[in-house]
Amino acid sequence: MEYISLFVKSIFVDNMIFAYFLGMCSYLAVSKNVKTANGLGLAVIFVLLCTLPLNWLLNTYVLQPGALKWLGPQFAEVDLSFLSFILFIAVIAAFVQLVEMIVEKFLPSLYSSLGIYLPLIAVNCAILGGSLFMQQRDFTGIGEPLVYALGSGIGWYLAIVALAAIREKMSYSNVPKPLKGIGITFITVGLMGMAFMIFMGIQL
Amino acid sequence: MDKKLKETILNPILKGNPITVLVLGICSALAVTVQLKGALVMALSVIVVTGVSSLICSLLRNTIPNRVRIIVQLVVVAMMVILVDQILKAGEATYAIDKQLSVYIGLIITNCIVMGRIEAFALGNKPIPSLLDGIANGLGYGLILVVVAFFRELLGSGTLFGFQVLPAGYIPNNLVILPPFALILLGCIIWVHRAIDKDLQEK
Amino acid sequence: MNTNSNVYTVIYTTVIVIVVAALLAFVSGKLGPAQDANAKAETLRQMMSAAGVKPTEELYAAKNAEILQLYAVNIQEAYTIDLKGEKNGELSVSKDKIDLVSKLKPQHKAILAEADVTLPVYVFKSGKAVIPIYGAGLWGPVWGYIAFEPDCHTIAGAFFDHESETPGLGAKIKDEAWFREKFIGKTVEWGETPAFRLEKNVEATGASNAVDAITGATMTSKGLNEALNVWFKAYENHFGLGAFFNALEEHAIETTTNEEEE
Repeated sequence: MEYISLFVKSIFVDNMIFAYFLGMCSYLAVSKNVKTANGLGLAVIFVLLCTLPLNWLLNTYVLQPGALKWLGPQFAEVDLSFLSFILFIAVIAAFVQLVEMIVEKFLPSLYSSLGIYLPLIAVNCAILGGSLFMQQRDFTGIGEPLVYALGSGIGWYLAIVALAAIREKMSYSNVPKPLKGIGITFITVGLMGMAFMIFMGIQL
Repeated sequence: MDKKLKETILNPILKGNPITVLVLGICSALAVTVQLKGALVMALSVIVVTGVSSLICSLLRNTIPNRVRIIVQLVVVAMMVILVDQILKAGEATYAIDKQLSVYIGLIITNCIVMGRIEAFALGNKPIPSLLDGIANGLGYGLILVVVAFFRELLGSGTLFGFQVLPAGYIPNNLVILPPFALILLGCIIWVHRAIDKDLQEK
Repeated sequence: MNTNSNVYTVIYTTVIVIVVAALLAFVSGKLGPAQDANAKAETLRQMMSAAGVKPTEELYAAKNAEILQLYAVNIQEAYTIDLKGEKNGELSVSKDKIDLVSKLKPQHKAILAEADVTLPVYVFKSGKAVIPIYGAGLWGPVWGYIAFEPDCHTIAGAFFDHESETPGLGAKIKDEAWFREKFIGKTVEWGETPAFRLEKNVEATGASNAVDAITGATMTSKGLNEALNVWFKAYENHFGLGAFFNALEEHAIETTTNEEEE
């Protein structure tokens, strides 16, 4: 039951885009059409799902104060948490490289349309943000970070596909010239964010 | 100062502003702009991080193996961010602000401005212009941050830097404080910017 | 030189990582004490604000050194108790790294089931006893300090803080002085469940152990309510059953005899 509530919460209530604005750069840049948005969204889910549990293990058994106890009692006082940013980002960068190689090999058409934004998943705030929030939330057991990763990934995916669909429609509408393109997109995302705020009051 | 150097510094602040024109580094721009003080500290941190990491990467540019380029850049940026974070935590006056900014300082690592400038500029240019380019982009970013924070704090709390500015009878507009409003405000800033500078309008 | 060979790549990466790690370890070691001092002063500020040692603004304007001194002048004793309410340790602010929040964190969820816990109690010279509370808000942790009058069940003051609650809504638990002032004079009904209520429209009922939740911040209020009740339960045996009460009575007798002598 707790897993289901965490899952739903991380999709809707703690939505990476609408609640935290994480991963905005690629979110705005790759949401011009649904097809590429779809690809990037799936890539984000995959990378989150792989890196977050890994980083959780890293945090629990290496980084947090007292985490090195399993090496022996003399390590109980060691606090390596100042290294967490670097290790998290290294794990993420390595994984993104992996995804990039797989996509390049098996889905060349997707690779060419995602272009520069694939390497940019490494610097997608949603991925690192997921790991940093995981660190703040002291999850117990590997199950919770897994569910949290899946939920936030799906939340991000939904958000980018929804925006891409809106932008596809919007290209036919009459927007004031200076607002065209990125300006109106910002305002749209703002309105979507307000709509998503209704989930905040949900009790799970 | 020669013309090219001047261009390097002025361009990112207005015509090629990282937020409103290149649309980079939005994540933190929205979360930390509820109060001017937080926005200012965030802007300064970003300026330091972009400047110094551009400098370091530019110094290393001929030695970095191409295949692990991104990882090396990330390590340099992460190092700078950790340094800034540790220093903010250690200062008596900045401790409270660091706590308020919490994870968003860490997220400077993934601020696309930093990585973007290293990829696009520092790896192909000499150290000094790279440093200036980094700082200028940080400034362009900070400018938008401060403008957004100004409106959000003024309308959302009736204060500026924590001092009451609007008359006591003013009822703070809670909508302005909520994160989605930052996006709408940013949309409006882009609107104004592009209405003035017609070259930037999209077809 | 061929910068793309495998050997070069591996060596290069290793060197970079080692250099960076060494630099960071050095900096973190150098700045560690200053960071701990900041964290300690912050904890003491919040604790003394709850205990009413000085107004909150003055505490936040004061330097770290002044805060430590102020604490040393005002503290009577600091100790830890277990769930039965028995003392099981002393606390020393000058020696111990007191960052209550991180200390409480691992205990929060399972605190009431654990056998071996150390719950801190800070008794100030004014007779007020301060305890910490910790829980989960909407976005992240919320925590605070509750001060009790010498009668052990009237709340003398409170201070709440949070990591990342929504500004203007949940963040009011810290930002708005009127919220913490509402707790002053309320009572905790030890032994009852719930011992205290932070809910909607409870003040209208006239209950003395209830405070109205913040409008628009349902989840933060709910988290804070839960935190209060979990921790009040944990301290119940200590404050409710009189171990503390007796100690204070002795203290009171001592002071009255002293006064008579004068």
